[in-house]
Amino acid sequence: MVAIVDPDEDLVRRVGQGDPAAAQTLVARKLPRILALGQRMLGDAAEAEDVAQETMLKAWRQAPKWTPGKARFDTWLHRVALNLCYDRLRRRREIPTDSPPDRPDEGPAPDRGLLAAETGVRVDAALKRLPDRQREAVVLCHYQELSNIEAAALMEISVEALESVLSRGRRALRLALADMAPGASEGDGR
Amino acid sequence: MKAERLQTLAEAYGADLRRWPASDRAFAESLLAADPSLRAMLDEAAALDALLDASSAPTPSADLAARILAAAPKPRARRFRLDRIVWYLGAGWAAAACAGVVAGVGLTTHLTANERADAVLYQSTLVAVDDTEVLG
Repeated sequence: MVAIVDPDEDLVRRVGQGDPAAAQTLVARKLPRILALGQRMLGDAAEAEDVAQETMLKAWRQAPKWTPGKARFDTWLHRVALNLCYDRLRRRREIPTDSPPDRPDEGPAPDRGLLAAETGVRVDAALKRLPDRQREAVVLCHYQELSNIEAAALMEISVEALESVLSRGRRALRLALADMAPGASEGDGR
Repeated sequence: MKAERLQTLAEAYGADLRRWPASDRAFAESLLAADPSLRAMLDEAAALDALLDASSAPTPSADLAARILAAAPKPRARRFRLDRIVWYLGAGWAAAACAGVVAGVGLTTHLTANERADAVLYQSTLVAVDDTEVLG
């Protein structure tokens, strides 16, 4: 088996030895990524914080016994965070709530002149409405910038299956945001 | 790589070739360089990429980072462990016992040699005794 090159290897070793500067560096490097993953998977800021905190606490416990060369620490962190996200998504399905989605899709509004922040809100809402697996694929490949091999391994599917899930996810997003595409807004505005 | 594969990859991974599989990237670049009209296939994907990039990532709060750091592994302090102290005491006693044995053996050997020397000297001074009495 080929040993995996891990850019975080030395950092994790120092964290395991109780080096406070290394812990600080690891938090600065990983917390934003894991928080963003939780936010986009769950669409809820408070839940994303909980997931990020729990993931990092598991990282502290794992660091002293981490075996280099078997996996990248970043991939392991994603695995832990995704498991926590799926636990919460499952719980949501088991306990249905009456509350409406965070922000309903307001539909075309070219005359309002959408600001970048509003575009972001629309994108987040469209992302939240995707089926879980499609959202996971888009989040891992587009936002977390994992390689197709890493994303497929995390999702426990083949690379071909990942490409199929990604295509469906992106197609659904394109349809949901069709009115915001550059050509569409110009056309609607005239 | 055929143009169809280029389309499939753009639909899956978007227009940014850095997100494409490493194994397909170089060939896709050469294909696009050879036929620039194929870039049109990436336009739709590029428009969606731009929209997706409008979603801003949350910034972790200082409070969250502090909570996490408070639980980080601490440096292992040099503590006096009871089992280690017992071990050191035992080793000390064993060393002392060994030293005692060595000294005792040495002293005994030294005393025995003195005794023998005295006995030889004593026998050599016994002039009054007839050799025939002693030796038969």
